[in-house]
Amino acid sequence: MAEESNRGDLDALMSKMKSAAAPFRATLQELHRKYATVADGRVATYIPELATADPAGFGISVVTADGLRFDVGDAERLFSIQSVSKPFVFGLALEDHGRERVLAKVGVEPTGEAFNAIVLDEATNRPFNPMVNAGAIATTDLIRGEDHADRFKRLLAMLGRYVGREVFVDSATFLSERATGHRNRAIAHLMLNFGMIEDRVDETLELYFQQCSALVDCRDLAVMGATLANGGVNPLTGERAIEARYVKDVLSIMLSCGIYDFAGEWAFRIGIPAKSGVGGGIVAVIPGVAGIGVYSPPLDERGNSVRGVLVCKELSERFGLHILEAGHAGPALLDEIRPGRRGG
Amino acid sequence: MAKIVSVHSFRGGTGKSNTTANLATLIARAGKRVGVIDTDIHSPGIHVVFGLREEAMEFTLNDFLWGRCRIEQAAHDVTPPAGPGEGPSEAPGAVLLIPSSARAGEIARVLSEGYDVGLLTDGFRALIRELGLDYLFIDTHPGVNEETLLSIALSDTLLLIMRPDSQDFQGTAVTVELARRLEVDDLRVLVNKVPPGMDVELLRGQVEAGFKAPVIGMLPLDHDIARLGSAGVFAARYPGHPLTQGLRQVASRLLS
Repeated sequence: MAEESNRGDLDALMSKMKSAAAPFRATLQELHRKYATVADGRVATYIPELATADPAGFGISVVTADGLRFDVGDAERLFSIQSVSKPFVFGLALEDHGRERVLAKVGVEPTGEAFNAIVLDEATNRPFNPMVNAGAIATTDLIRGEDHADRFKRLLAMLGRYVGREVFVDSATFLSERATGHRNRAIAHLMLNFGMIEDRVDETLELYFQQCSALVDCRDLAVMGATLANGGVNPLTGERAIEARYVKDVLSIMLSCGIYDFAGEWAFRIGIPAKSGVGGGIVAVIPGVAGIGVYSPPLDERGNSVRGVLVCKELSERFGLHILEAGHAGPALLDEIRPGRRGG
Repeated sequence: MAKIVSVHSFRGGTGKSNTTANLATLIARAGKRVGVIDTDIHSPGIHVVFGLREEAMEFTLNDFLWGRCRIEQAAHDVTPPAGPGEGPSEAPGAVLLIPSSARAGEIARVLSEGYDVGLLTDGFRALIRELGLDYLFIDTHPGVNEETLLSIALSDTLLLIMRPDSQDFQGTAVTVELARRLEVDDLRVLVNKVPPGMDVELLRGQVEAGFKAPVIGMLPLDHDIARLGSAGVFAARYPGHPLTQGLRQVASRLLS
């Protein structure tokens, strides 16, 4: 047992050294320098607590599916996860109920509407997808548990498996969300009216606000992405965060609906599953290879981090990450992470 | 394309710093621009061999790690002058040393605060670029620590120096295992301080079989270099000495 844990320490040390030595470190620094000067976008203000974010805050992290990590800038600054939580809660709902039951409550169609639109599918009364607020509230409603506390603990435990540490909810953000979440209340009641969610509306809304107020940093987002890139197993802890069979469901939704009403263009131009949040975070997944986490609070008019989109776009173009051309466009990312050491 | 050569011993006293200084000097004599960086932050010393005094150092590696200067500003030209019997050295060879600070306060700060070890990667690459180096020698801390592991991970060639001693054998095995895990391609062993009367071919066979790595040279335990006591670069001081011949062979193997 001691031998085994020593082995783990040694592996972690070796990984740290390999990433510290990789040329990719310089690439991330270059991207950080290049985009730190971009002054476009505005910090979200619809919740008072979000308006306090520092617009200059900017961090980029990449974690590979085999556990090498790269950080630059404000990679350890905590912020509220907001909508980045949605695909992960969708994954938990899939585990709790199976694919068909979840799909009976929420669709998988992109909307082209804003993330907070009050709109349901007219034929089925389902929210269009789990990435818009309506669909996210419906998936949060599906989190199993004996009572609110139990559901809350299961939610945090799920996030904890992805990031590899205990996750906490920021009380100020939660209170702020709860005090101003009238639109989300309206959406929830509309869905209750159609019988799409259960009648514990207040509890589910509280849980949804708590979910959005969980604190992460961009290193956490990169590990979450890397966990999905690694078939659902956290590459740093070795712990499984989601059943392997649901990983592709989560990633498909992220690719088609993850970046709000920019999702179609994102899929076209950048082409990797991703999810943004109004806290300034973006998680992106390069299946089989790595997870990317970016933090920068100023948002474009669609609610996506301006610098986050630019960083993902440049990484995708530079390394040919678009999943429909992966492996045959541009220099391979792995060549820069492990130069000339890949045998053959 | 510059070559990074990390020089490491698991234990102290193998002659690591002296050997590094001599090899760097001999390679510079062959017309190469050679950087030498002392990453032995906790017990720096190679600057003494090059005769660089503490007062003459404007900036050190420590200043770079704390963001007080660019790494190339900490480089000092320590190219030893040609010794007696040596012709004028072929320009444009040079030895550029980046020392670590030997001030107690600076060493204590590294111990208490630590630093992002990845900064060394940035520093090495900047040095090679800014100083136009052909070779960068990294004089590492004995044993295993983060600077050492990073230097090993970054190196094109890892040169392990050991004495024919059971403790050195055991320690070198640890470094070899770590180097293999860090995927170092080119790993070579230099057996130093071989006492007279030892069966060198038997020893070579033991080392090569034990570590599955080639022996780049076997240098004798020598009184003259001991007498010099790190107060100069031996190969520059005694270019015709048999030990210098041995060092020159090792240098030419590194060059080829």
